[in-house]
Amino acid sequence: MRLDGNRRTMRGRTPRLTAMIALVTGAVVVAAGCSSSASKSKTTSDSGKSTTVSISLTPQGCAPKPAKVAAGDVSFNVTNKDASAVSEAELRTSNLSKILGEQENLTPGLAGGFELTLQPGTYKINCPGASQQHWTLTVTGKSTGPSWESNPKLASAVRGYTTYINQQTADLVSSSQTFCKTIDAGNLNQAKILYPRARVYYERIEPVAEIWGSLDTEIDGRWENPVTVESQFIGFHRIEQLMWSDNTLKGAPALCAGLMKHEQQLLTLVKSAQYNPLEMTSGATDLINEAATSKISGEEERYSNTDLPVFKANVDAAMEVVSLLTPYLQTKDPGLLTQIKQRNAAVLTALSKYQASPGYDDTGYVEYSTVLDTQRRQLSSSVNALAEALSQTSTQVGAA
Amino acid sequence: MADELTNGDGHDGKPGGPSRRGLLAGAGLFGAGAVAGGLGGYFGHSGGGSAAANTSDVVGDSNQTIPFYGTHQAGIATPAQDRLAFGSMNVVSGTSRSDLRDLLKDWTTAAARMTAGQLVGEDTQPYAPPLDTGEAVGSPVSRLTITVGYGPSLFDGRFGLAGKKPAALAQLPALPNENLDPDYTDGDLCVQACSDDPLVAFHAVRNLARIGMGVVEHNWMELGFGRTSTTSTSEATPRNLLGFKDGTRNIKAEQTELMDKYVWTGAESGQEWFHGGSYLVARKIRIFVENWDRDYLQDQEHVIGRSKVAGAPLSGGTEFTAPNFAKKSSTGLGPAIPMNAHMRLASFEHNGGVRILRRGYSFTDGIDPQRGTLLGGLFFIAFMQNPSQFIKLQNSLAADALNEYIQHTGSAVFACPPGLKQGQSWGDTLFE
Repeated sequence: MRLDGNRRTMRGRTPRLTAMIALVTGAVVVAAGCSSSASKSKTTSDSGKSTTVSISLTPQGCAPKPAKVAAGDVSFNVTNKDASAVSEAELRTSNLSKILGEQENLTPGLAGGFELTLQPGTYKINCPGASQQHWTLTVTGKSTGPSWESNPKLASAVRGYTTYINQQTADLVSSSQTFCKTIDAGNLNQAKILYPRARVYYERIEPVAEIWGSLDTEIDGRWENPVTVESQFIGFHRIEQLMWSDNTLKGAPALCAGLMKHEQQLLTLVKSAQYNPLEMTSGATDLINEAATSKISGEEERYSNTDLPVFKANVDAAMEVVSLLTPYLQTKDPGLLTQIKQRNAAVLTALSKYQASPGYDDTGYVEYSTVLDTQRRQLSSSVNALAEALSQTSTQVGAA
Repeated sequence: MADELTNGDGHDGKPGGPSRRGLLAGAGLFGAGAVAGGLGGYFGHSGGGSAAANTSDVVGDSNQTIPFYGTHQAGIATPAQDRLAFGSMNVVSGTSRSDLRDLLKDWTTAAARMTAGQLVGEDTQPYAPPLDTGEAVGSPVSRLTITVGYGPSLFDGRFGLAGKKPAALAQLPALPNENLDPDYTDGDLCVQACSDDPLVAFHAVRNLARIGMGVVEHNWMELGFGRTSTTSTSEATPRNLLGFKDGTRNIKAEQTELMDKYVWTGAESGQEWFHGGSYLVARKIRIFVENWDRDYLQDQEHVIGRSKVAGAPLSGGTEFTAPNFAKKSSTGLGPAIPMNAHMRLASFEHNGGVRILRRGYSFTDGIDPQRGTLLGGLFFIAFMQNPSQFIKLQNSLAADALNEYIQHTGSAVFACPPGLKQGQSWGDTLFE
């Protein structure tokens, strides 16, 4: 599967959450991918009947017949009679960002297909190689909501999470604008100070940003992981490399303009995203995993050595999830909640050893390269203990 | 140990002949007077008498040998043994073409002996360093195979081999989700030793490296402690460190048509000497096991595309039921096997039919000095007719849900020559 054309744009950690969060495209809930099923939502159609959509691959395209179906189980029958340049049909979200199902490798004479349960909304059939590549499929009817919504504590937590993500993303955009203005003005020293201040917002929303794998790579992709093509190394970390490794702002304004464009796209997408409690806890664990893996090793901010403030941002955002779920967890597993809070306190204590004022590049922390391996292990140990406790929260919310 | 020594049936009656170095000559072991009878280092196949009795807790016949000579090198289609020792070596500067050729002859002699359950050489000289390092004395041969491969750099002109380079032998291009450690990358030569006994596998690589001293030196080395693939219908599917069955859909040696199509090289390799060989791709893949262990069960299964315990595809059935990638999830959310599931993206159905023979092992290098977490994962080895097969698969895996938990940290490609006839040595056809 090539999510976005032929580019290797998927970041390493991206795909799982990609599949975990039901996207809203317009007013449409697209239950895509895998893990959301943990919420035990009932999304099959009322009738239980399956509708069939026939797609014939031709040099001209892949028109679905019919082009409008009722929500529920849909079988896609794909045939290729004699189209040599077209060999696959994908069902994508209306903004084309996600593949929901596909039939590949249909050379002339072959037939195949796939099945999906579709919520109401607009979708695109995509057939690369055809003269008209994108075709619209409309799904009508009523959508069905997941069962956790009837739990007021969980519903409230999800609302709070939505607000938090929206706010952090808006702050990411505004702080990046300030950062980019400084770059445009050619003030390298000030830009170095503003870089981590913009980064922290991204590090709080990253599990959500990863839903849109290509955007995550465009904003936050690291060299070699996953970007291995120079022209695709364009986001925060390319600018970081210029400023710290090359000690220049040459080329940075154009990169910053691209960064702003991608952040604006992210903001638009985030505004219409929907989440569930399991995604919240899983995302929180992912944030701490990230702190324990790429921050501890210094891989993430390898040019600037500003790993400590972003490490703190990962932890903060994970604990925000805990805070939002506290009313629920307090009734379900108060012992776990206590353990998480104790372990978070231990992380903050370990981290406080590296606080400084004003600190390296005014970050409030020392330069990460001065933190020795033995000290990193202490940080790692505390943050792994927190992650271990956090990962237990999915047991409670997933069963709701 | 002493009992085993004196009771071994020792198949040492077929010496490889004294080598140029004299390393392999001699008879008798550890003071000949003290020990009577056949004195093999580790015991040969069948009829081992009390030797077999000492290993009765080992499943299968631990005295079983795998023939060293044959159409293809052993250790590729051979049912995967439990343990691995893998050495990547570089030729030291100043080595001549004939030095290298002589080394390959000596290696052939030693490998033929060791895989037959014999010591590298019999030691009779009390004042000479022992010819065999000795640690495998008394250990059953346990299906030892020794497989040799040549890296792209061996053909760089130092040894007049530039014109002998197989068409597709080259360093791999940059691939998704890798962060390669130069200390675990590439090599002029490789030695893959596999056995059901870890000591026997290690002993083989150690002794070949010792024989090669002055001509080759270790570039890197890895030990594998549990096979992660099944390469034969006679084997049960093992599990990797993710806790999942691995290699369910691997090519099996019994599928000779697939072996010919996807594993063995032929005329397309562009080199006569390489017909009947295979490309070996090695990838050291770190698994961030602590992060993985925190993921909830259902998500782990969605990441892989299979149930954890039974190993059945999420589209239903049992382990060996063919996956139905088109089937929708029973809970109605997307396909049963998610679009970014590892097994979907790695499947031949998703890759234009492309397959490889996987033959990897779990490994650990201890603890990460910075993170305090496990430095371990999968030492991936695969054999194929052309490295482009692996490149295609790995590019498909750019979108793999598993990437969140793994990182490729080492990489190498080698051309493993075809098997040898009795009397032939590695390098004979290469240096013609």
